[in-house]
Amino acid sequence: MPTHAPATGDLLVILRHAPHGSSWLREGLDAALVAAAFGQAVTLLFQGDGVLSLVEGQGPGPLGQKGTAATLDMLAMYDIESLFYDQVALAGFGFAPQQLQLPATGVEAGAIAPLIAGHRLVLTF
Amino acid sequence: MASSEIDRYLSVGDARVALDPEGYLIDLSQWTPAVAEALAVEDGRQLTAEHWEVIEVIRDFYARYGASPAMRPLVKAVGQALGPEKGRSLHLMKLFPDSPAKVAARLAGLPKPANCL
Amino acid sequence: MILHILNRPPSSSLVYRDALAAMGEDDRLLLIEDGVLGALTAQIRHFQTIEGRLFALREDLGARGLEGQCDASVQVVDVDGFVTLSEEADKTVSWF
Repeated sequence: MPTHAPATGDLLVILRHAPHGSSWLREGLDAALVAAAFGQAVTLLFQGDGVLSLVEGQGPGPLGQKGTAATLDMLAMYDIESLFYDQVALAGFGFAPQQLQLPATGVEAGAIAPLIAGHRLVLTF
Repeated sequence: MASSEIDRYLSVGDARVALDPEGYLIDLSQWTPAVAEALAVEDGRQLTAEHWEVIEVIRDFYARYGASPAMRPLVKAVGQALGPEKGRSLHLMKLFPDSPAKVAARLAGLPKPANCL
Repeated sequence: MILHILNRPPSSSLVYRDALAAMGEDDRLLLIEDGVLGALTAQIRHFQTIEGRLFALREDLGARGLEGQCDASVQVVDVDGFVTLSEEADKTVSWF
């Protein structure tokens, strides 16, 4: 998917929280899955700390808590394949796009407003 | 999601398998093919080879993703594993009437799918 | 026009940067709850890129005794004004 593709859809879910630290990420993914299960066209935008959810090699927490990596792998089964991430945020953590667990499109700050405009409903988590 | 409230027990051979109020297993590790057979008999159904291949697909889905699939992803997973002829809701509706994603998850000893009605 | 709603102050949370980055050129930003701390003259620099499109909720300023410190460039609205802003917007996006 080229960076300039104007993604549109029914629902844009913006994920701004890192894995494990809170339930925000999981709740956001659940909202996306519910919408997709009902046939809505869902796009995900990983922004800020949320970009860390895409990093490969995640595992369970210190007490064995389930992470979200398996859920990310499951997105394709729900036909959620329109995935974007904030490339400045990813670079800010020292990661390169090749280190992501899933194919996602990096966007610059200026591409986020059109993404929001292209969706009927926007939920932030 | 599997609830932890035990509603009743199902006798399968020597084992007593705890079920929640909706008939899902409390302890997923208690599942055996015989448990699936017993649950199906309660529903008045005999499991055929076509049922079993779907049960295998859904157990594989759970092992991979850590969640029971809703209907759409179940159809997709069945299609990927068993071919497009079987990856159709109609086929699954015939095998597991009413709500295939829920019924198949229950027989497969998995939690109730979270994302479906 | 999209109404963005922010409830964290720039003094302790960087979410305002993501909100600003996501704003289109006609979009508006409404500060509510602790977000209104950003409306103070001493903090307003964080929002200089959207001058004229920044709003703050009067009730949240008043409850914190901050109405007098609110910068003149901020459009202060009450809860009814919040409703009007929402009605004028195509949709709202919350930042927290």
